[in-house]
Amino acid sequence: MKIRTLPAVVAAVTAASLLAACSSGTNAGSGGDGNTLTLASVDQGSIEDVVKAFEAANPGVKVTFTTSGADQYQQQIRTQLASGTAPDVMTVWPGNGNPGATYVLAKPGYLLDLSDQPWAAKLPDAVRSVAQYEGKTYNALFGLNGIGALYNEQAMEKAGLKPPGTWTDLLAFCKAATAKGTPAFALGIQDNWVTQLVLYALVATTVYSADRDFDTKMQAGQASFANSPWTAAMAKYQEMQKSGCFQKNPLGTSYEASQELAATGKTLGIIQGNWVVALLKGKNPSSTYILKPLPATDDSASFFMPAAAGAGYGVNAKAKNRELALKFVNFVMSPEGMKVFNGKQGSLPSLPDSGSTVDPGIAELNTFIQGNRTVPFMDQLWPNAKVQQTMLAGLQEIFSNQSTPDKVLAAMDADYKAGS
Amino acid sequence: MTTIPKRHNRERRLGSGSIPPWWFAAPAMLLFAFVVLIPSARGIYYAFTDWDGLSPDFSWVGFGNFTDMVGDPNARQAVWHTLVLAVAITIIQNGFGLLLALGVNTMIKSRNVLRVLLFAPAVITPIVTAYLWRNLLGPDGAVNSLLGAVGLESWRQDWLGDPQLALWAIVGVIVWQFAGYSMVIFLAGLQSVPREIYEAAAIDGTGPVRRFWWVVRPLLAPAFTINLMLSIIGGIKLFDQVYALTGGGPGHATDTISTLIYKDAFTLGEFGYSIALAVVLTIIVAVASTSQYFVLSRNERAAS
Repeated sequence: MKIRTLPAVVAAVTAASLLAACSSGTNAGSGGDGNTLTLASVDQGSIEDVVKAFEAANPGVKVTFTTSGADQYQQQIRTQLASGTAPDVMTVWPGNGNPGATYVLAKPGYLLDLSDQPWAAKLPDAVRSVAQYEGKTYNALFGLNGIGALYNEQAMEKAGLKPPGTWTDLLAFCKAATAKGTPAFALGIQDNWVTQLVLYALVATTVYSADRDFDTKMQAGQASFANSPWTAAMAKYQEMQKSGCFQKNPLGTSYEASQELAATGKTLGIIQGNWVVALLKGKNPSSTYILKPLPATDDSASFFMPAAAGAGYGVNAKAKNRELALKFVNFVMSPEGMKVFNGKQGSLPSLPDSGSTVDPGIAELNTFIQGNRTVPFMDQLWPNAKVQQTMLAGLQEIFSNQSTPDKVLAAMDADYKAGS
Repeated sequence: MTTIPKRHNRERRLGSGSIPPWWFAAPAMLLFAFVVLIPSARGIYYAFTDWDGLSPDFSWVGFGNFTDMVGDPNARQAVWHTLVLAVAITIIQNGFGLLLALGVNTMIKSRNVLRVLLFAPAVITPIVTAYLWRNLLGPDGAVNSLLGAVGLESWRQDWLGDPQLALWAIVGVIVWQFAGYSMVIFLAGLQSVPREIYEAAAIDGTGPVRRFWWVVRPLLAPAFTINLMLSIIGGIKLFDQVYALTGGGPGHATDTISTLIYKDAFTLGEFGYSIALAVVLTIIVAVASTSQYFVLSRNERAAS
C-alpha cells in the first residue's frame, strides 16, 4: 500500500502545481513593486529621454520600457491586452483605423478613462476628437506631426537647388536632381507603411483643399475613393516615380535604408513625417532639415498638409501601478514633458500654452496648422484597419506592376463599405 | 549463466504480473492536455466564429470562414507560395546537403573544418540571418556590390523588391542556412555505411556513381526520410524568414499561409478567419508529412 500511495501523491501534487501555475499565469501581467512602471512605446529615440526626465523628477521610481516599430508593436500590444500581460502605459494611436488606435482599444474597455486629468479639457478640438471614444478621453496626445517634403539643407546647397514651390517645379526639380546624380527623394517602401506617406501628402491638397467634408461624405456613402481626386493623387504618385523623383529600387529599400540615403546626402531629401528628423540627425548629427508641403498642384495657395496628432499614451485599465501610470501621462502632458518629447521628435506640442519653442525647420508646418490648412492623416477616420492595409499592399503592387490604381482604389472602397 | 534466466524472470513478472497503474502517466497527460490538447481544441472552435481577438463577445459563423477562404485571392496565392517554397526548399536544400555530405565524407584534408563551417549557419537564429540577408540583398547591398565588382553589372537585381524574384531570394536564404543541417544528417547516414561494403563494391569494379546509386543510396534511406520530412514541414510552416525578409511583400507576392495568418489575426483583427487558415495549414502539414512518411518508410523497408 505504501508503495502505491507515493506515486499517487506525486501525481496529485504535480497536477495541482500545474493547475496553480496555469491560473496564476492569466493575471501575472506587469509585475513589480509600487515604484516600478512598465511602459511599451513606439517612440524610439525620444521616449528614452522622457523616461530619464521622469525618473529624475520622481526619485526612486524605475521605468521598465520596451520600444518597437509600429507594425510589430500593434500586433504585440493586442496580444498582451487580450492575455492580460500588457504594460501599465502604452502607445495608443489617435482616432480609428489601425489596430492600436484609441477607438479600437477603448471600445472593449482596455483603456483607463483619463477625462478628469488636468490636461484633458485643454486639448484643442481637432486633437480632442481623436483622443476620445464616446465622449471620454483615453489618449494623452502630446504632439502634432505633419507629412511633407524634408530637404537635407547641406545636400541642397551642394546641388545648388531650391525646394520646388509648384507641381511643375517639382517635376523639373526631380529631373535636375537626377542629372546631378543625387535623386530628389529617398523612398523606402520595403516597409509597407512608408508607401502611404507620399500619397497622403498629395491627397491633402488634391482631395481636401477643394472638399473639406470629404470624410463626412464618405461616411454617408455619398463619395468613394474611386470617383474622387484620390485618382489624381495616385496618378501624380506614379508620375513622380516615372520622373525619377525617387532613388532606384524603392521596393527593395527599407525605411532604415531610406533614412541613410537622405541623411548622408545620397538623395536631396525624403518625403516623410517630421518624426524622421530625429532619426536622420542620429545618422548624421551635422545635417539640418527643412520641411515644406509637397506640391501637388500649381496653385501654391491651395496647398494642404497632412497633420495630425501623432501616437500618444494610454493607461492600461488593469494597470498594476495605476497611480504611477497617471503620474507618467501627466508628466508627458506637462510643459516639461512636452518640451522633451516634442523637442526630440521634432513635433509640435498639442497644448497651446505649453511654452515650447518650435524648431525653425518645421516652422512652415506650424504656419499651416495656425492657418487651418491641415487635414488629419486619412486613415485616422476610416472605419476599419483593412482599408489601410489594402492600400499599403496595393501601393506596393502598383510599384511592382502587379496592380493598378483603379483596382486598388476599388478594393479600398469595398473594404470601407464593409464598415467596422 | 545463472544471471540470464533471473533477468528473464523479472522481465516476465513486470510484463504480465503488475501492469503499471494508468495514473503513472497522469502528470504527463495533464501537461500535454494543458499545453496542447485543450488550447488546440479551443482554437479550432474559434475557427467557426467571427472573433476579433479583443472583444469578449463573438458569434458562430459555421463554415463561413472556410468558404471565405476559397474566394480570397490572398489566401489562394498564399497556399500556392507555401507549396512552391516547400517543394523548392525540400529539393534544393537536400540536393545541396547530400552533395556537401558526400564531399566532406571523403578523405580531403580540411574535412573537419569544412564540416563545422558548413553547419555554422544552421546554428544562428533564422530571424537574425534573415535580417542580415535583408541588408545583403538590398539594392546597394553586398550581393549587388559583389556582382558589380566582378563585372556582372547586368546580374544586379532588386532581389527582395521584385515580385518575380523575391520568393526565390527567400528560397536561397533558407537553403544557405539549412543545407548544412541536411548535410549533417546525411553525413551521419554515410558514416554508418560499413567500409567493407564500399571495398567489396570497388573490388567488383563499380564506378563511384554506380557505387553511390546502388550501394550508398539505399543505405541512406533513413537519412532521406528524416531530411525530407523536416524540410517539408519546415517549408510549409515557413514564417520568420519570410516575415523578416519581405514581410510578405511586395504587395502579397511572398505571403505564405503563416504570414497571412499573422497579418489577418494581429493586423486586421480577424482572428476567426486566421484561425481557420491555421486549421487548413495544420491539415496540409499532417497530410503531407504522413503520406511522405509512409512512402519513404516503405522504400526504407524495401532497401533493407
